[in-house]
Amino acid sequence: MRRRTPWLLLLLLPLIAGVQRELDARLGRYRATEEALFVWSGTAVRRMAPGLENVMADLYWLRTVQYFGGQRVFDREKRFDLLEPLIEITTTLDPRFELAYRYGAIFLAEPWPQGAGQAQAALRLLEKGAREMPQSWRIRWDAGYFRHLFMDDPAGGARILLEAAELPGAPYWLRTLAAAMKSKAPGERDFARLLWQQIHDEAEAAPIRRNARLHLDYLDAADRRDALQALVDRFHETRGRWPGSLAEIVRERALLADAAGVAWDYDATTGRVRIARLSPLWRLDRWKAL
Amino acid sequence: MQPASSPALRIDGLTKTYRLGLTGRVTRQALHPLDLEVRRGEIFGYLGPNGSGKTTTLKVLMGLVRADAGTVEVLGLPLADPAWRRRAGYLPEHPYFYDYLTPAEYLGYAGRLLGLETGLMAARSEELLRLVGLSDSRDVPMRRFSKGMVQRLGLAQALLNDPEIVFLDEPMSGLDPIGRHMVRNIILGLRERGKTVFFSTHILPDAETLCDRLALLRAGRLLKVGRLDEILAIDISHFEVLCTGGGAAAREAAAAAGAGAAREMGERWRVEIGEPALAALVSAVAAAGARVLGVQPVRESLEEYFFREMGGDTARDPWTLAD
Amino acid sequence: MDAGRLTRIAAVAANTHREAVRERVLYNLVFFAIVMILSGLLLGQLSIRQDEKIIKDIGLAAMDVFGTLIGVFLGVSLMSKEIERRSLYPLLAKPLSREEFLAGKFLGLSFTLLVNVTVMALGLYATLLATGRGADPALLKAVLPIYQGLVLVVAIAVLFSTVASSALAAVGTVCVVVAGRYSDVVRNMRDVVPDAPTWLIEGLYYAMPNFRNFDFKNRVVYGDPVGWNDLGFVTVYWLLYLALTLGAAAAAFRSRDFH
Repeated sequence: MRRRTPWLLLLLLPLIAGVQRELDARLGRYRATEEALFVWSGTAVRRMAPGLENVMADLYWLRTVQYFGGQRVFDREKRFDLLEPLIEITTTLDPRFELAYRYGAIFLAEPWPQGAGQAQAALRLLEKGAREMPQSWRIRWDAGYFRHLFMDDPAGGARILLEAAELPGAPYWLRTLAAAMKSKAPGERDFARLLWQQIHDEAEAAPIRRNARLHLDYLDAADRRDALQALVDRFHETRGRWPGSLAEIVRERALLADAAGVAWDYDATTGRVRIARLSPLWRLDRWKAL
Repeated sequence: MQPASSPALRIDGLTKTYRLGLTGRVTRQALHPLDLEVRRGEIFGYLGPNGSGKTTTLKVLMGLVRADAGTVEVLGLPLADPAWRRRAGYLPEHPYFYDYLTPAEYLGYAGRLLGLETGLMAARSEELLRLVGLSDSRDVPMRRFSKGMVQRLGLAQALLNDPEIVFLDEPMSGLDPIGRHMVRNIILGLRERGKTVFFSTHILPDAETLCDRLALLRAGRLLKVGRLDEILAIDISHFEVLCTGGGAAAREAAAAAGAGAAREMGERWRVEIGEPALAALVSAVAAAGARVLGVQPVRESLEEYFFREMGGDTARDPWTLAD
Repeated sequence: MDAGRLTRIAAVAANTHREAVRERVLYNLVFFAIVMILSGLLLGQLSIRQDEKIIKDIGLAAMDVFGTLIGVFLGVSLMSKEIERRSLYPLLAKPLSREEFLAGKFLGLSFTLLVNVTVMALGLYATLLATGRGADPALLKAVLPIYQGLVLVVAIAVLFSTVASSALAAVGTVCVVVAGRYSDVVRNMRDVVPDAPTWLIEGLYYAMPNFRNFDFKNRVVYGDPVGWNDLGFVTVYWLLYLALTLGAAAAAFRSRDFH
């Protein structure tokens, strides 16, 4: 009997947890811990924990990530009020926490409700990062890109990218990117694809790569959607009505024709689509074989 | 090597004043100038009530407390010379020897501090643990030890280097009767082997049965030094006569011979008589029909002496510090 | 120095280490340190890519913080216990000088801390290897000064224990160690107390053991080169401060009466 007592005590744990839940429900609104920062100033934290700044920065960064994730997934109100101060404290504690600048900027800049929609704050953060880590071309690359993407300032973005390209270890494609940014209007899909492809290829962290992949996939999807929309529009032109379903478009052979208006040649045994012999384009295709 | 004739211990003018409190302005003189000599091969008792300076003297000898003035020689060597410490042993009052060690480990540690050769040390520790009755507990961590067991180990470590002189501070404290008997035997055994034993105690019967010579200490001053019979002999004043039978006649005869009132002890009775009238009393009592069972000289006990010297009047507790 | 002296110092050191090893609190602290280091694994995964940085940050900080706790605890308790429980008495009656005892005690404690730091460093490397990161040998350039700092903590604890009771010694040691970690605050005291005389501030700043000197964590974690000159100067500072602390401890211990 006596031997069993400690194990019986474990039964108290669920009881305690239950009471705590009740207490949280009753008293939670008076506490508001989730929305509070214990210390608002990174300098103050720095003073409080000499020699432990890095670990404190890590803890604040974890809290930032949790806060961002939690806000995104659970909270319908999605206010992100604490996001900027959290990142600010993190980077003050550990001014060389590169990823905190870069990912923090993404958290801040992504339009609401994916992110905080605070592009200005994101750029301020990246500028601070560039000051603290003058050798980091990645932070400047982000800064240039963000300036172009969120602030509609391709010229300013391109200038920052060129600065980044001057830094030791910076890849040559930053110059290409800068040139493309200057010549193209923002939002053009080819340019966006170029940017995201670079991010994807350069990414060291899986989440960043996943994020870039997502954007690339979205660009693809947009291309395909536009192609399909064009078919739907042509159906409307020829028949004077909208197709009843997407399948109806496929049945309308006239739509599935090459530019010369000749239907495609489809070989059911090999599964190949070819330009039909009847088409005037056939010769060119044989010659060029694009 | 010093001549064997040098005393085992010589203390000249030893003075110690403790500073108390934070400022050190309050002082207490623990030792007034103290002179003492202990001969080789004797058991020397260092007696005094609590707070009389016994432990302070021993601590000065062991280098735990620095004296203000005075010189000390142990085995003919000055106190500061570490060489004599190799040939001496010390059992502190209420010793503690680390809870986490076993007796065997502790003796190993002590042996290395003494610079004993490993093989010799192992043999000595086994022998000593047997001597003090700790053989069965040699590998038991001392946190499981009783006070008496710790005291026994204390004695063992004091004897580890087969010392020429042993300083024992209250060696009987915390021991049961068997333990006391053991310690007495060990002390006597040391004397047989020509060692010097210097021990402090406030238990007077221990001193009475063991010491060749003793010193009486009160409030940091030496009261008396000498053999027990030198201190007490002067006072052998009367004899005790133990008788049986004889009825009232014999008791009256005793009274007539000058004895005090008889004390009845069941069948036997006892009277006290001064030496001059002893022979007359014995024959008178025998003539009255009683049998004389024994005659014993009555000597003042150390305890009585102590109370007389230290206490002055009985109202005052003789153990407290006099000044 | 005769061989006997070395034997005695080694005997005291060995016994001190044995006492520490049989002290349960030590295991608790080392256990928590290892848990902290391993928790870097978990936290690293929560943190978006920065697992290597976070594992190193937490591992080195745990070594520093728990090492300091162990240093204060062992330094104070093992030294003052000898005095307060009087286990020192029979030892000093033997041919063991007080300086030898002090040296042995200090060396034993330093060795125990070396073992602890080694265990924690192995834990950190194991964590890094378990996450497929390399066992970066440059980390040792942060571990070594951390260890030096811990040895200094022990020396300060020993100094306080020779002059004060264990409770006071613990408080004193903690105060000095904390003040030594906040030495920058001392220097910036003028911000708070504009009237404080410069000589006082400067004097306090230089008198205090500056534990920031032993902090190479940030530089090592970010792979900055840490030159041997820097470590060499830190070592010189360390040795000088050790000499000061232990010298004071020896002087205090020598003149002390045990009553």
